[in-house]
Amino acid sequence: MKRALAAIVVLAVLAFPLVFARPFPRHVMIMIFLYGALATAWNVLAGYCGQISLGHAVYFGIGAYTSTLLIREAALTPWLGMPAGAALAVLVSQVIGYPVFRLRGHYFAIATIGVGEIVQTLFINWDWAGGARGLFVPIKRPDSLLNLQFHESKAVYYYIALGLLALALGVTHWLERSRRGYVFRAIREDQDAAASVGVHVAREKHVAIAVSAALTALGGTFWAQYVLFIDPESVFPLSLSILISLVAVLGGVGSLWGPVLGAAILVPLSEGTRVLLGGTGKALDLVIYGALIMLIAVFQPSGVIGLARRFRRDRRQATGAAQASSA
Amino acid sequence: MSARRVVLSLAIVLTLFVSLATPQSKEVVIGIIYPLSGPAALTGLENKVADEIARDIANGAVDVPLPFYQRLKGMPGLKGAKVRMIFADHQGKPEVGQAEAERLVTQEKVHALEGSWHSSVTATVSQIAERYGIPHVNGQSSSPGLTKRGFKWFFRTSPHDEHFTQTMFDFFRDFQKKRGITLKTVGITYEDTLFGADSGKVQRELAKKYGYEAVVDLQYRARATSLQAEIQRLKAANPDVWMPTSYHSDAILFVRQSKELDYNPKMIMAQNAGHQSPDFLQAVGKDAEGTMSRAPFNTDLIEKRPAARAIAKIYKERTGKDFYDNPARTFTGMMTLLDAINRAGSTDPEAIRKALVATNIPGDQLVMTWDGITFDETGQNIHVKGIIVQLQGQKWYTVYPFDIATKDVLYPIPAWKDRK
Amino acid sequence: MGFVYALVAAGLSLIFGLMELVNFAHGEFLMIAMYVAFFGWSLGGIDPVLGAPLGAVALAALGWATYHGVIRHILSGPMLAQIFATFGLAVFLRNMAHFVWGVDFRTVQDPWLSGRVSLGGVFVGLPQISASVAAFGAFLALYLFLSRTETGLALTATAQDRQAASLMGIDTERMFALGWAIGGACVGVAGALVAMFFYIYPDVGGTFALLAYVTVALGGFGNVPGTLAAGVVVGLVEALAGLLIPPAFKYSVVFLLYLAVVLWRPQGLFGRF
Repeated sequence: MKRALAAIVVLAVLAFPLVFARPFPRHVMIMIFLYGALATAWNVLAGYCGQISLGHAVYFGIGAYTSTLLIREAALTPWLGMPAGAALAVLVSQVIGYPVFRLRGHYFAIATIGVGEIVQTLFINWDWAGGARGLFVPIKRPDSLLNLQFHESKAVYYYIALGLLALALGVTHWLERSRRGYVFRAIREDQDAAASVGVHVAREKHVAIAVSAALTALGGTFWAQYVLFIDPESVFPLSLSILISLVAVLGGVGSLWGPVLGAAILVPLSEGTRVLLGGTGKALDLVIYGALIMLIAVFQPSGVIGLARRFRRDRRQATGAAQASSA
Repeated sequence: MSARRVVLSLAIVLTLFVSLATPQSKEVVIGIIYPLSGPAALTGLENKVADEIARDIANGAVDVPLPFYQRLKGMPGLKGAKVRMIFADHQGKPEVGQAEAERLVTQEKVHALEGSWHSSVTATVSQIAERYGIPHVNGQSSSPGLTKRGFKWFFRTSPHDEHFTQTMFDFFRDFQKKRGITLKTVGITYEDTLFGADSGKVQRELAKKYGYEAVVDLQYRARATSLQAEIQRLKAANPDVWMPTSYHSDAILFVRQSKELDYNPKMIMAQNAGHQSPDFLQAVGKDAEGTMSRAPFNTDLIEKRPAARAIAKIYKERTGKDFYDNPARTFTGMMTLLDAINRAGSTDPEAIRKALVATNIPGDQLVMTWDGITFDETGQNIHVKGIIVQLQGQKWYTVYPFDIATKDVLYPIPAWKDRK
Repeated sequence: MGFVYALVAAGLSLIFGLMELVNFAHGEFLMIAMYVAFFGWSLGGIDPVLGAPLGAVALAALGWATYHGVIRHILSGPMLAQIFATFGLAVFLRNMAHFVWGVDFRTVQDPWLSGRVSLGGVFVGLPQISASVAAFGAFLALYLFLSRTETGLALTATAQDRQAASLMGIDTERMFALGWAIGGACVGVAGALVAMFFYIYPDVGGTFALLAYVTVALGGFGNVPGTLAAGVVVGLVEALAGLLIPPAFKYSVVFLLYLAVVLWRPQGLFGRF
């Protein structure tokens, strides 16, 4: 039963572009996959290891800038730029991790915000990398997989984004079951206790941020190839860092499917309210958006996945109980 | 309860998807993408009004007694088809602009695009237009690079930073000759988004080319809470001309803090934008006496130009504000597009594009002081002409070119201690 | 600027000390306080100097309402839910302001205090100086309230140990609400002061709030005098950095300073845990 349902979902997702030929529904799906993948990456560090980072835009931006600069300066295909960006992001994450991992709770969160702002300022003032003017990804025609640019149809972007999400989920799934996953969760629950039973806390945190940063950077490269224009305002902002974590929190942190669920709700919501109400210029869409975030945080602090779990539990109890019960 | 909540949210998502498609016929549909929320929302809303005036002229609801506008009335080329505009919000984000452009083109089936104020968003929107082969007219963005990409479907009616900055340096040359003074040093400050970075770059290059020394060359954070450090530097270097490039908030902050820190520039030559908005005038108008700015248009020219007079009146009725440069440029861009569609006699994109290429609007029919509108092969209007305006007694007056000036240049700007 | 940063941060710090919760809507509270000061001036002709109590009352009410409407429900929730409840509140308030008041930039014209004075050859605006003095005064009042009055001590006790305080017969629920009201009042005063020399629009809170977070973390969360010291440090560093290196990086230096300090003392300059 459960397997059958999963198979149906997988098939539906794979067949989606065949049914919906219009770019906008596809665009919404691509954004769901992308944000799902980014939130899953963030979840590795924050959800499992308990380190709440509000500076993940740094790794996203590094992914975007590395591949774009490699295309422009060395005419390298983004398929090589992608791992290069990921490698660089891992390197940077280790440097950033050294000071910030000594901090806990809100001190850590604010330090990551600070790092994010510093990196954004550096890029704004870095002329060689386009500075505030940003960079265009050189447009290559015709469409080709090698150049990772598709102007005719979004279908390929769709499957690549889906692949990114699958990769992020696969890594998380593997982590969740491995010994390391347990170690991460031990650090999240009580890092002093974890250290006292012989866990090398600092090292484990560095591993977590490396995985998280690499996956985030892949998303950054994809973004650059999708939008074909990057500037510090769009790939390094604090609002992006917060959005990534918001998606995960909304769905439910520390669970495999939570971030995906969060993306599946938040992306259509924000695109939808903007499409329906954005043109009025009254910001009503964002008023509703803010109110909804607040309501979810207040009434369902464990995320929507908690809701789904409770729902399932309720149903089980209901069927187990006497027939007299009514919904 | 919880189940109902899930169902409800699912229902909302579904309705969103379904409600996205509404086919239309016998209409000219124009997609317009502006910042309608966030820090630049004000500009987007002002431009929206300008576009709506253009639409009402084409639909015959508003009458402007000039041949160019009379010809457009009721869109005779399309046998009275109605113009409908769909506004979308890009929130100042390039990727949102891109997604909205794509949605407008493929779902709302717009026949042409206009927008998007921020040069960075115009860049991604025009990529979509180019990809789908939809004409994109831009009346506001001033990043020179936009028309240097070899695009076929992108047209810009407005001058870009190189034109504007050239006008400034022309003014310096002519002014020195006229008054017999020498200006040697300039101080360049610019905010740190695409607009500021572009403007700063052009100013630096032109200053070098014409032999001025840039004694201050500063990029600053647009959202800064304080600009005192920047002003202290200007004060220390004391350039002959201070050339700020600012959006609304930073322009206001500069004036307030210059006063507090007693910085007395002799000449201020601003790159439009923030310095020219009505909000700037309202907020610090009294303290900004003598500020000069490049402009493609100025209110005191309205009286001399019949087209401008007519539109300014309607704009004032609808917004309660004075007509100024930004809505004027947007209006001109939109009229150019509507004129092309009318001449094309069809909503076929290629026909509209051909009509745009063949655009030739005489200068006397325009709101702007340009010599007309004709596009070169890059899509740039070649007849643009900048003017220099100066704030005197809380009003902007045209001071350059000298032959159309309505006031003499106030120079040097009185020091703070000499003002009452 | 330092004292003003400190006052903005004080409310944040107080609330954190009380319930270990960072209010991400703090910048928006400041924005609303500025609007209150502005409308007090434009509609009632009340100068922002006198409008400060008005702002304090209005924002205290907002703080109190926020506690009862939102915060009370999430106190026991995970830290993340708290972050996002207040973040959602921030988005909501900011765009509500956009919706209700529009996006025009507004400024208070000719406040009583304007002009400048020279301090050892350096010109400083009178509004800034008076804002600093007023901020310092408000700070002193807050400190005396916390350390000298019975209610203030009860509040401090609650901050130190929630359970012990409630065993001692302190109504912690009431103390939390009070903490939010006082935190609101601080930012209400700060907003009125900032409105004297800063323009007002819906997005104005962002940068101030960011600096407030750094200030609070620098001084040590929940430590009110520490916040004052940190505020002054942030203000000075910002001003000096702007003179010594390209001003584009001045906020980077503030953040770097924070990183350097917490590297040395992970609990902030004066943090107690």
